[in-house]
Amino acid sequence: MSVVSDVAITPEPESVRSTRRSGSVLRDALSLWRTRIGLVLMIALVLVASFGPFFAPYSPADFAGPPFTAPNSAAHLGTDYLGQDVLSRFLWGGREILVMAALATAFGLVFGTIIGMLAAYSRNWLDEVLMRAMDVILAFPQIMLALVAIATVGPKAWLIVLAVGLTTLPRVARVTRGAAQPIVERDFVAAAEALGVPRIRILGRELLPNIMSPLMVEMSLRLTYSIGLIAGLAFLGFATSSNGANWGTMINQNRIAVQAQPWGVIMPVLAIALLTVGTGLVGDGISRAAAGIDRGRSTG
Amino acid sequence: MVDTPRELPENLDSFSLSRRELLMGAGAVVLGGSLAACGSSSSSSSSTGASGTPKKGGNFRLAVTGGGAKDIMDGQTIITKPDQARLMTAFETLVVYDTNYVLHPHLAEEVTQNKPDQWTIVLKNGIEFSNGKTLTADDVVYSLNRIINSKNGLFGAAGFASLKPSGIKKLNATTVQLNLTYADAGIGQQLGQYYNGIVPEGYEAFPKPQHGTGGYILKSFTPGQQSVHTRNPNYWQSGKPYFDQVTITDFADATAQVNALQAGQADAMTDLPFGEVNVIKGHPGLAVLVSKTGGWLPLCMAIDMPPFTDNRVREAFRLMVDRQQMVEQVLSGYGTVANDLYSPFDPSYDHSLPQRQQDIEKAKSLLKQAGQEGMTVDLHTTNGAAGMVDSANVFATQAKAAGVTVNVHNDPNYYGDQYLKLAFSVDFWGTRNYLPQVANGSIPTAPYNETHWPPKSGPGSNFLSLYSQALQQLEVSKQTPIIHEMQSLEYNYGGYIIPFFNDLVDAYSTKVQGFEPSKGTLNLTYFGNGYTTIWFA
Amino acid sequence: MHSGGIWGFILRRTLLGLLVLAIVSILVFAATQALPGDPARAILGRSATPQSLAALRAKLNLGQPVLQQYWNWVTGLLHGDLGNSLANQEPVSTYLRPLLINSAFLVFLSGIISIPLAIAIGVWGAVRRDKAFDVGSSLITMLLAAVPEFVVGIILVVLFATVVVQWLPAVTQVPPGGRPWDDMTGMVLPTATLVIAVTPYVARIMRASMIEVLESDYVEMARLKGLQENTVILRHALPNALGPTFQVIALNLAYLAGGVIIVEYVFNYPGIGGALVGGVTNRDLPVVQALAMLVAAFYVALNLMADIATILVTPRMRTTL
Repeated sequence: MSVVSDVAITPEPESVRSTRRSGSVLRDALSLWRTRIGLVLMIALVLVASFGPFFAPYSPADFAGPPFTAPNSAAHLGTDYLGQDVLSRFLWGGREILVMAALATAFGLVFGTIIGMLAAYSRNWLDEVLMRAMDVILAFPQIMLALVAIATVGPKAWLIVLAVGLTTLPRVARVTRGAAQPIVERDFVAAAEALGVPRIRILGRELLPNIMSPLMVEMSLRLTYSIGLIAGLAFLGFATSSNGANWGTMINQNRIAVQAQPWGVIMPVLAIALLTVGTGLVGDGISRAAAGIDRGRSTG
Repeated sequence: MVDTPRELPENLDSFSLSRRELLMGAGAVVLGGSLAACGSSSSSSSSTGASGTPKKGGNFRLAVTGGGAKDIMDGQTIITKPDQARLMTAFETLVVYDTNYVLHPHLAEEVTQNKPDQWTIVLKNGIEFSNGKTLTADDVVYSLNRIINSKNGLFGAAGFASLKPSGIKKLNATTVQLNLTYADAGIGQQLGQYYNGIVPEGYEAFPKPQHGTGGYILKSFTPGQQSVHTRNPNYWQSGKPYFDQVTITDFADATAQVNALQAGQADAMTDLPFGEVNVIKGHPGLAVLVSKTGGWLPLCMAIDMPPFTDNRVREAFRLMVDRQQMVEQVLSGYGTVANDLYSPFDPSYDHSLPQRQQDIEKAKSLLKQAGQEGMTVDLHTTNGAAGMVDSANVFATQAKAAGVTVNVHNDPNYYGDQYLKLAFSVDFWGTRNYLPQVANGSIPTAPYNETHWPPKSGPGSNFLSLYSQALQQLEVSKQTPIIHEMQSLEYNYGGYIIPFFNDLVDAYSTKVQGFEPSKGTLNLTYFGNGYTTIWFA
Repeated sequence: MHSGGIWGFILRRTLLGLLVLAIVSILVFAATQALPGDPARAILGRSATPQSLAALRAKLNLGQPVLQQYWNWVTGLLHGDLGNSLANQEPVSTYLRPLLINSAFLVFLSGIISIPLAIAIGVWGAVRRDKAFDVGSSLITMLLAAVPEFVVGIILVVLFATVVVQWLPAVTQVPPGGRPWDDMTGMVLPTATLVIAVTPYVARIMRASMIEVLESDYVEMARLKGLQENTVILRHALPNALGPTFQVIALNLAYLAGGVIIVEYVFNYPGIGGALVGGVTNRDLPVVQALAMLVAAFYVALNLMADIATILVTPRMRTTL
């Protein structure tokens, strides 16, 4: 969860100038073992989060015994702080985080890309204004802005998504702008302008396809952070429901007894860790593939 | 030990012994000298045993949850538990409750109800504040005036509703007479509430100097973090206190407290989470103090706000609760089932009212009759005390069986925004006897009347007049029938769902001796009775 | 954007930074004004009576018009007066100072460990490119970077403080009247968490930058001159590779300021993280505003330093100024 994307350079400084179509980058990425492992992890955890509830022995608010009991036949991973079944709550606990993180990331990606491209293309006062606006949002740590927003209105789902999306936006915009700037100066863009092609088309047809590689890397990066941030907010107590099954909330609720009954903490911790590792590996794979293409060699 | 009544000023009636004994139960008269001198309590079995010669010395480090930048130190009010812990270091009351929740004289030699509307307080001699000033009637006058002054907004003001400044009279250097505006048998109990401490004339809250009659003097205090209190060499109970120093640290949450205790960085903590009890018990050098108190965490239905205006809905909600399950899931078994009534230790508590059980079918049919089948309702709660949020969540799960959807809202601003204006909310109370509790929560002028009881018309509308009648009675035997009637009204028509009485569960290092289980309102045996009855082994 | 050279650039950037801060101050003020409910009620909570509420509201000057309050606040800020905490009526600066020092120490300690560590890992990985160390360290740093810091923190707690072994305390212990660093065992895990959060990125940038430099003509020349490889690396390559890292170092230090919020919560560390959470809960507006401005100023300043450092160190960018 770092600020590296605040930097105008992408993780691998050479990947900016790819003009290959995104499809080939993806194919190359998938040939790397790390991307495959990352994808497997991601898919596995998305499956657990999406379909877990169908396999849960209990409903998340049902009681399976006294609080903090060790694993037994009634509760295979023991019970949590209220006596609810850890296994069931674990199976239910990923949905909220995933859906919100996906929405927030999509929000930030879409609007961040638009703003970044506009800024790069305009190269004038609009560029300046947009980037200063981005600076204002970037003047805070993501979590701080989210906290203040949440305390204002309450931990509502739409607000959390909006707050996380809003703080994702400028980071995407910066990267997009950085990636788009060299493209904007290329001949084919100037040619399109000379032909009188409308700006939107230039952005959509000429610019966007050529920045897909850094964008894809950015997408997985942002998804990783959004997951971490939303789970973190839940950990601090800011999830949509105080007793809802949510991996972040579970960690905080159960850590007080982690010495006696660790599963209520270990399961959600593993889930979040593996999920973010998965998305990270995928992003890394794409980034390497793009870089590998540029550098004319493929690296594992 | 024999009662030896002091010389009383002549304008008071004298009493027969039997009448005094009767009055003892109503808390109306506390006799001089005798009973408290034997020290508190007959309750048994603390985990370490309260005997052994107390040794002097050491720095007692207490970890309390809650508090924050809002921390105060005031001998006459509190907001949070750390405030309670700090108040108890320096301030004492005229009378105190022991571990059996029985009143005894403390700073006062005697507190007597001479007439239904008149009380007399006689101070002990030779008690000094920590700045050397002797405790006199002037200080008592100042203290009472400060409490009842509504501008100060102190916790105890409501309990002294019958006392006006003009009614407080100093008779001599050690005697104060209280002339009430109406008969009030509850004054004695009010004087025993820990938040009605006796302060020196001219006293003001922190950051002004804090001088009380208690065992320790405030040395330093950073709100939200830590306070240090050093032994008061002037303390009036000779030989006490035992510690050289008391350090009280605020903790944001229980995990940190437990860790501090386990790491040996704290000697005691309040409110051990119920789920942690086994962890602590298994830890060498640590022990758990379980006090079966009259504390309660009610779910409060406002009887004048929909959907609870219909008593059938209220009754249905009270029938939806599985009380034993509440005790098991919320308290991990550390509590006793309750019957929607408070003040279990009051001699007048009506044990004959049938214990409510869960009855989902009846609940459903009542809701149907009231046209509220399958209803949805919001329940507000907060982290004000252990179990408040968990109660709400468990209740929500139980309500589903009756087709009711409960949306739980955990509001950090709970006590700020909508408190007392909510239709359905959770609150917390400590041990208190019936009439003082009514004054605090069940009459229109009460400061914390969550249920907006009593109703203006229909059954229960005579509650206030019953209350006044009860206050006028000097004898428990006369009070009891009235209180029974009041309780019956609350039982049948009230707004409280009281599923259990929660134990207070604390944890401490076995190096500390002197803790005993207590029925009272405060943790850790009233914080070791102001940190004066606990010591390092 | 083409006049004035370096100094002009610095001046422009500084003015822009101040503009950003000004806008941020308006937004911060507006947001905290939008907090629902009544601060007086939030403070008094259960013990609020109509009289005590009115008394507290008067004391806190809550009745003035909004613009007036904003102006008072801003002018106060510029004079170093952060206002009084609504909760305990003490000056915010007094209340925050020890907490700021504690957080600053944690940030400093984490920075002073992570940055040299990251540089070393990055350089060594670049020098021994694609060999065991490089592959291993790249992978591990990438993995650690992906995992959220509170998860890292909890894993450390599980491993070292509770479940697996109990060598370290699970929370920082502050001795009476003391500082968190009086008991360094309590500092280990929070610092480790932050180090793990920051090191990966600096290491990766360092590695990438170093690789590029190692392949540059300049270094090629040095090798052809017959210089020893060590000399080439340390005296020719490394100084040139450090350029871009300055930017990331500055930004990561800024990020630590955000990271401390959640890490302090995990370990109950007495710093600004706890103050922020408490301030938001209590609706203690001056505290929240002061912390927001402090963090924003810190961020903006570090961003500025990062930009300047990058320009100064990268010769070709200077010419486009």
